[in-house]
Amino acid sequence: MEQQKSQYMNSYLAGFLLGIVLLMAIFIAGRGLGASGAAKDLAAITVKAIAPEHASKTTFWANHLSGDSHPLKSWLSIEVLGVLIGGLLSGLISGRMRFKVERGPRVRVATRLGFALLGGMLFGIGAQLGRGCTSGAALSGMAVLSTAGFLTMMAIFGTGYVIAYFFRKLWI
Amino acid sequence: MGPLIPNGIVGMEWDLFFALFIGIAFGYVLESAGFSSSRRLAGVFYGYDFTVLRVFFTAGVTAMVGVFIFNYLGWIDMSVVYVNPTFLWPAIVGGVIMGFGFILGGYCPGTSVTAVAIGKIDAMVFLAGIVLGIIGYGEGFTFFEQLSVSGYLGPIFIFDTLGITAGWFAFLLIAVALIAFGVTAMIEEKVNPESGLADTKGTSYFIPVTLALLVGVVLIFTPFERITGVGEMDKEELEKVIVSDNHYVHSDEVAFKLFNDYHPVILIDVRSSAEAAEFTLPGSINIPLEQISSRRWRKTLSEKERKVIFYSNGTANAQKAWLVARRMGYSNIFVLEGGLNGFFQNLENNVKPSDYLHESEFAYRFREKSRQMFREGKLEVKKEQTTSDDDQPVVVAAKGGC
Repeated sequence: MEQQKSQYMNSYLAGFLLGIVLLMAIFIAGRGLGASGAAKDLAAITVKAIAPEHASKTTFWANHLSGDSHPLKSWLSIEVLGVLIGGLLSGLISGRMRFKVERGPRVRVATRLGFALLGGMLFGIGAQLGRGCTSGAALSGMAVLSTAGFLTMMAIFGTGYVIAYFFRKLWI
Repeated sequence: MGPLIPNGIVGMEWDLFFALFIGIAFGYVLESAGFSSSRRLAGVFYGYDFTVLRVFFTAGVTAMVGVFIFNYLGWIDMSVVYVNPTFLWPAIVGGVIMGFGFILGGYCPGTSVTAVAIGKIDAMVFLAGIVLGIIGYGEGFTFFEQLSVSGYLGPIFIFDTLGITAGWFAFLLIAVALIAFGVTAMIEEKVNPESGLADTKGTSYFIPVTLALLVGVVLIFTPFERITGVGEMDKEELEKVIVSDNHYVHSDEVAFKLFNDYHPVILIDVRSSAEAAEFTLPGSINIPLEQISSRRWRKTLSEKERKVIFYSNGTANAQKAWLVARRMGYSNIFVLEGGLNGFFQNLENNVKPSDYLHESEFAYRFREKSRQMFREGKLEVKKEQTTSDDDQPVVVAAKGGC
């Protein structure tokens, strides 16, 4: 926000490149991108580690933990690992590496972090119901022209716009 | 051709390698565009930074156009690609909840990972929140379960839902995206002339915009195949064909061909495998009704030179199978009139015509002979060779989603 000339990539170019990546995913693997599913893998192994018997008895977790490979060896988890690496590479090259709590000017660190946690939890629940997040359901759905993709996308952004005013203190 | 891995063209061993590679590209582009910053992401909702809109829309449209083109060239089979299924209510409710998550948290899952990569502590907390939220969802699943499976409509396409062709939808989406880009550029200019636009200023957009519109117009006239290799027939065409009613084949014709061990037809027994095992017309291939749309039989049913004749005990099931096959685009399909029951009835009830007209006399004698042949089992018939589709590994549609 403070830079005169942006150090970021032109957003249309970035969008185009992202579209190509998405197209490659569809062409090679037959599926779009995703992210929240990897969090589900993490959640599953966490539950299994803390309460293994409970995990095996609950259908929701048992179903996800079944199969011969480790839950973190799923397509999504590996892809998200890639996202981490890719982000790291870009951050290193552009010199954007820095520990910080990003927040609006009118809010304290603690408040920001509290809302980050709450926001994450809501996103986790919402992504489970919507069977994907902005990448998995909305973006990938748009590419394959699925009704679900557009529905979810409109629900996410529509809601965002409606409630933005009430949470403006977090950002502006 | 594509999708390469589900179709077995690239081995399954490469699946995770590509996942990693695709992820790296994904993460790199996201971070380079500045999505590793929650304030930048939130900007789309407050009008000071429309990066999210520009990247998201451009990416979606680019990939969609790519899929369209690949589809047209026959490079990708949409029936194997994962098209996320529509569960109406959870899609909406989930989206609303995610909307709250976005505004409160300032990230979405994918962007939060890139932010974590460069050290954003709020993103780390956000990510931890996602995992906690999912644990909460799993633990409280009995509460969510009914909602989560409600309103199932299948893997439907948006253009079908809207009642327009895929091509028109593509054009409209491109047009809407271009308008959105123009409007948001103007808003950004007013709200905050310094930031956001800084990464797009100074370039002339006339050529890309015109190109994009041109592509959109071309797509209006481009067909979109849901199943590759077979041109789907639309409802109106199908109704005309049903009404014209010339897809029946008389049992005499079939008997004659069997009788003479001469095979300008392919006989398909559409009954269950159990029924077909008990008795089937010699040389038939058994494709139970539910399997008609399977990829395995695509070659067999696409036969253009010999008639493909469906039969069942009566006519109802063969007719159903015929409808499915015609709808899928197979054109050379016929139904045995009267089915097996009618077939043998004609032979059994062969009445010697009283007027001795040449043709009916011939028909009478032919049927007498046929009945004899069937009764005495003198029919030796070469078993119809099923086509090489059998040798291909079974193609399992790609799994996807989150």
